[in-house]
Amino acid sequence: MFDVLPDRLPWFVGGPILGLLIVGLFAIANQPLGASGAYVHTMGLLTRRTEVVVWRVWYFVGLLVGGLVVTQVLRSGAEMRSGYDALRDVFPLWATVGLVFAGATLLGFGAAKAGGCTSGHGMCGTAQRSPASLTVTATFMSTAIATTFVLHLLTGGDL
Amino acid sequence: MRLNLIGLLFGSLFGGVLAASNLHEYDTIHAMLRLQEFDVFWFMGSAIAVSAPLLWWLERRGLVTPLGGALTLSRSRPERHHVVGGALFGIGWAVAGTCPAPALVMISSGAALGLVALAGIFLGLWVHGRATNSDTHVGDGEHRTTSV
Repeated sequence: MFDVLPDRLPWFVGGPILGLLIVGLFAIANQPLGASGAYVHTMGLLTRRTEVVVWRVWYFVGLLVGGLVVTQVLRSGAEMRSGYDALRDVFPLWATVGLVFAGATLLGFGAAKAGGCTSGHGMCGTAQRSPASLTVTATFMSTAIATTFVLHLLTGGDL
Repeated sequence: MRLNLIGLLFGSLFGGVLAASNLHEYDTIHAMLRLQEFDVFWFMGSAIAVSAPLLWWLERRGLVTPLGGALTLSRSRPERHHVVGGALFGIGWAVAGTCPAPALVMISSGAALGLVALAGIFLGLWVHGRATNSDTHVGDGEHRTTSV
């Protein structure tokens, strides 16, 4: 709608803002800014479980709202971008859908097992200097980079 | 009630920063993990560089938070499930090119594949919940025992 944002916010602006958000949520509510917990409690609400932490559901909604405001309102064009161009150049649509679904299932399971994801362990956990979070982060960074290079080799260098 | 508003506010701001940094796009994550572009590493690193000293200082001052009692940072010891979970998470992250928070932003951006990622993440969490008969895993991530 409006064109007030650059195509991509530089990391030295976005990163420190995110750092302040992490500190802010700890300072106000003594809670980490982790996203997989929001999924767990949103799923809990949908399946009518009893022990749902309601504010985590609002946090889940907020992520959607924030994304909506930036991509649809603050950016001009707002063209439908999946951002999956690199994957779509190599695979047909059905295979892309399959890969995304399989990958997402695996990362959901892994986040539940590890007790957090990129935000909960990767950023909030390491910012607390938690040995468990540092372990999780080092592990997922290693397997993610290794997997990416395996995919790169398997696709003959296309991906 | 106030906590719900805080949740909505921080979710919106976090989602907005992710969207403005294009972290909801597969291509951004893929270029990072291919080690072609280091912006996302710097992004994460600078977020930690800003938050870690501030959290350390606030904890040392004995901050009492308005909505969550005394500030308590958690520092658990690594266990087997951290390594196994982290390893699986990393493989999935590389294949899907997204993780829980950016997947929601991807949906907001109008990309249908975000819905596929969302369904997959829910399935993975559900399977784990069924397998362990509990859907909250205590850890240093966001799954805390203290439910406020």
